Formats: sequence, C-alpha cells, structure tokens
Amino acid sequence: MIASLLELGGDRVEHADVCVIGSGGGGAVAAAELAAAGLDVVLLEQGHHWTAKDFTQREDEMLPRLFEEAGMRATRDGSVMILQGRNVGGSTVHNLCYAFRTPDPILRMWREEHGLTSLTPEALAPSFARVEKHLRVKPIREDEVNTLNRIIRSGAETLGYSGFVTKHNREGCVQSGYCILGCSYDAKQSMLVTYVPRASAAGARIYADARCDRIEAEGGRVHRVLGSAVGPDGTPHGTIEVSARAVVLAAGAVASPDLLQRSGLGGDRVGQDLHLHPSVMAAGFFDEELHAYRGIPQSYYIDQFIDLERNPHRGYVLMPIAGFPVLTATQMPGFGRDHFAVMRDFSRMAGLLVLLHDRSAGQVRPGDSLSRPRIDYTLSPDDRQQLAEGLVHCAEVLFAGGARRVVIPFQPEALVLQRGDDPTEIIRRGVRQGEITIASTHPQSTCRMGATASQGVVNPFGEVFDVRGLFVADMSVFPTSLGAPPQITTAALADRTAHHILARWPELSA
Amino acid sequence: MLGSGAALATLSRLPVVPATARAATPSARFFDEPQTEILTQVVERMVATGEPDTPRVRDSGAIATIDALCGSMAPELTGPLPALLRLVEWGPVLFELRFSRFTRLTPDEQDASLRGWMQSRIGLRRTAFLALRNLAMLGWYAQDESWPDVGYAGPLLPRSTAP
Repeated sequence: MIASLLELGGDRVEHADVCVIGSGGGGAVAAAELAAAGLDVVLLEQGHHWTAKDFTQREDEMLPRLFEEAGMRATRDGSVMILQGRNVGGSTVHNLCYAFRTPDPILRMWREEHGLTSLTPEALAPSFARVEKHLRVKPIREDEVNTLNRIIRSGAETLGYSGFVTKHNREGCVQSGYCILGCSYDAKQSMLVTYVPRASAAGARIYADARCDRIEAEGGRVHRVLGSAVGPDGTPHGTIEVSARAVVLAAGAVASPDLLQRSGLGGDRVGQDLHLHPSVMAAGFFDEELHAYRGIPQSYYIDQFIDLERNPHRGYVLMPIAGFPVLTATQMPGFGRDHFAVMRDFSRMAGLLVLLHDRSAGQVRPGDSLSRPRIDYTLSPDDRQQLAEGLVHCAEVLFAGGARRVVIPFQPEALVLQRGDDPTEIIRRGVRQGEITIASTHPQSTCRMGATASQGVVNPFGEVFDVRGLFVADMSVFPTSLGAPPQITTAALADRTAHHILARWPELSA
Repeated sequence: MLGSGAALATLSRLPVVPATARAATPSARFFDEPQTEILTQVVERMVATGEPDTPRVRDSGAIATIDALCGSMAPELTGPLPALLRLVEWGPVLFELRFSRFTRLTPDEQDASLRGWMQSRIGLRRTAFLALRNLAMLGWYAQDESWPDVGYAGPLLPRSTAP
C-alpha cells in the first residue's frame, strides 16, 4: 500500500513492528528487507509519490517536485547549494546512477581509525550482492557512452589520466538524458521502482506526504513516532502516530540529525561532522554541437587525483556533467549580453566537475521550521586548494578533449580561458565560498558510526547509542566522507542494519 | 535592509522554477502591478540577447512563471522580494545619485544600474542581485520560446503528457 496521508485526511494511529522514516536510498531498503522477512512495517515519507507519468522532462515542473526546498536548500550563508530529494524514492529518483561499492581503503580506514572492526568487505559482501541484484547494477556498455563522456574520456586519455567507464543501475535505458528530472521511462532502477514496490508488495504500509515531527523514547527505548500530513509548503493538515518496537531513521544527513536533535536523542555529536562532497564545475565549449544533455549523463569517471590506498582522507574525482537551460543559466555568471554570449553556445558545451573527498566538517542544527534546518559548512584552506587544482585539471581535460575555450564560473565575472592560456590562473584566483557556485548532492556523516558513544552517534550496526531500537540508515552514518558516489554504500549499510534488526528481533520485540 | 539576508542568499542560488506558472496569461498574484513592471524590465535586461529576433519577455510566460514560483514558496524566502524591487527601482537615486527611477532609464542605463548591484562592495547588494538574476534566468529559460536561441532541442516528451 502506498497512500498519500494528505489525501487520506484526518488523524491516524498506527501500530507496527518497525516504523521507517524516509523512503530514499537507505529507508526503502530497510523497509523492504524487514517487510519481506515478515515484520509489520510502516514507512513515512514527507515527499509526494510522483511516478514516471509525472516526470515531464521540464525543469520548471520537475525541480520543485523532486527537491527539498524546491531545489533551493543551501548552507546558511548561501555559498553551497545542497540538492536532496523530497519524494518517494528520495534522491535515488534524481541521481545519476553511478554504482560503486565502498572503496576497500575507506573501509580499512573506518576499521583502523574509527574502531569499526566489523566493516570488512567480506562482511558487507552479502549486502552488496543483494543490493546490486535488486538495483540491477551492471557495467555501462560502450555504446551507451554518450558524446559528453566520450569527449571527457578522450581528453583524460590524451593526458594519461586514470579513468574508467562505470557501472550503473538502469534497465532498458532509452538514453533520453533526463535522469536528473526523474526517469519518464522507469528505466532508472531507483528506489521508486525497486525497493519501494518490493516493500509495498511485502505488506509495508507506505504513507507519502507524511512528515515525521518527533521520535519518542522512554526508559532508553524507542516507542513512538509522531508526524504530520504535509504538502510542499510544510503546513500540517493532520497527524499520524506510529507506535513501534523499532524505528529506522533514514531521512538523509540533513533531516535525520535535525529530527534527532528536535527529539532530544542521540547526544551532543548529532549534527556534527557534516561532509558534503562539495563540487565545482568548468564548462568547455566546442566547435561542433554536442547536445551533451542527451544520453547517459555520467558514465566515465576520472580517478587520477584520488589515491585512497596512499591517503584515504584526501583527493578528488572528476565527473562529466551536463545541464538543461535553467540549471546552466543559473550556474553561469553575469547577465544580459555577456551571459547570453555563454548561453548562446549551450548546445556546444560540455561540463566537467570536481567532486571533493572533503575533510572540512560542518554541522546541521534545527532551524526555525522543520523543513529548513540550519546548515553551516566552511571549506578548509586545503580543501579550497584541492578544488582549485581540480578545476585546473578540468580545464586541461576539456582542452585535451577539443574544447576551444573553457569558462570557470566565478561570480560576478567568469574566468575565460582560451586554448593555450595558462589554466593555473584558476589557482591564483582561488576557490572562495560566495565567489563561485559550489554544489553538494552528497551530504553525509552527521550521525556518524563509531565504536563507542564518544566516537559516534550510532554503533557499527546503525543503532543510536543511548536509545535501544532506534536505528539510523542513511548517509549520515558514514564515519567520514566516502570519497566515492554513495548510492551503493548507503543501500548496503541499510541492508546490513535491516538484517541486524531481524537477527535481534526476538530481543527487540520482547 | 531587505529582510532576511539568508533568504536572499538562498534565493540567489535559485536553480528552479515552479510547476504552475506556464499559463499564457501573466496574471500577477505575488507581485502587484508596479512591482510586476519593475520585475519585467529587470528580467528584460537580465536575459537580453542583443539578437533582433529574440522573443520579448513581455510576450512570454516568464513573468507569470516567476510570480507563481514566488507565490508558492515559503514566505520567509520570498518576503523580501517586493522591497528589493522597490530598491532596484529607486537604486539610481539611492546609489548612483541620478534623478531617475530604474524603469525610466534607457536599456544601457539600466544595465549600468544593475552592474552597480552586481559589483557592489556590499555583500547583501550582490546577493540581492543574484537573487533577481537567477529568478530572471529561471523564468526565461523555462520558456520554450527561449530555447532556439541557445540550441536546446527541448524535452522528448510532448507537452500534452504533462499533468
């Protein structure tokens, strides 16, 4: 059952074995695994249940439907855009389907530096295997590498940079390119078309438009979730109360710590340690029309500048990126004819972004309303330096791939590099917050996993240290920045948490 | 001065537009008529192409799109916008010591006035500029008629499939 709490109306009281909060990359997995094992599951999702028929491929219609704060979520100083899903399926509905297992050196670092000794590749292998099976993870075929990614690969290979064509979770992809606006063809194997229907088929009661307002615990044990029926403006129109033996919080690395703090649960570390995988982009302009927005947006991945074996704490990757007119126009600096001079060549543009494995740590605190938490994040000098160096390499790759000019969208005036110009000018300009658009699609680590309560908010199986039966199963449990696309790690850790709950069910249900 | 600086900062990163404003009739709801006229002239300069065949902002759904977006958003985000438009209108008097409102300037003079906002030493003015600029970009580039100038082929699905 998937129903809109708004449309049902009135106030509801539910009893369940487990209440799952959030239907994205972690929550949907937990709900499906628990329901499939026979537990009675209620899932609350604050976003609406949009489906393929609603995905119109138009920015003006889709961005407000699929993103938190209508796509305008940002750090308090406005310097970092944070894109997160707000819909059944969460961010997996708009993500671009890179499908990586957790890098072994990251797991090793989590074991050695964070005491998470059980997080071995072998221990996680069953979870990875289940997740990859349900998400139909497979290598991207050579004939599925689009023009944009071929150009980027050509540039990287010319320079001798390490890179590869990745795996993804698409089935029957028609290569429309509109992945970020939701897949109109149900080819993207997001939670919306995989784990959510699986959970529903197994008997989970899934309520969309159902925001969790508070989690209650008594005697050190979770016992109830209180929520509201809400639309996009956040105005409550009814209530829901779910009594449960266990609660799986999977609202994402911004909402999960916000909710824990509002509920007075989780201790002082909740909301700290925020990492963002911040990204900045360079735009290359070519002689020929590319229509880079067509085809699978991201298939090639440059890992030349991250060596997790040598240093699991530092580095960055380069990833192709293409946008549609609104997204592109808002990224480019200036206005009027100067701005149009860039937009005029929209169809000849190829983007390449730097995604940073960041050590800078911010925080999430409750804001003036449930839907607008306070997010603070300041890049360290070393992280800013890496982003600037990454932009230099982006320019080099784009030129090597055939670009005539490269635009670095500093505000208010872009840096325009012609072929032959010295790209280290980017380093002289530097990356400063507020002077270049910085975006994040991977907030993480705000309820981080640790061996003890002094090291983290949750234990190695995702259970909040001071609250029996309360688990967190989203990117907020990552002990550090992941340094790789997080979809599979999030799902695998949620799978592991779900199976841990099942193993402990006789005790948890007592 | 403009209400919430954080709200403007957020708006300045605005990458999105609303779902409901594509109706052909730009019946403003969020902005009143004088504000709509200021907004229209601001958007005209923000998205000016210099090309003779570019469709006119006034003839498009751009302003209605922006208006509907602002009407659908949380008041703490959009509340400062009417005051900001009034400041833009009187900006030449307040910041440039010119005895003319923005809407009575020539296009080149309007560009110079907006450039003053964009390059201001005052962070809040720059942030306010970005808020208006991004509203203009999303209003304009959401319109089908803006796409030929930039070579965007448009969605693969026909509009008739839109709900």
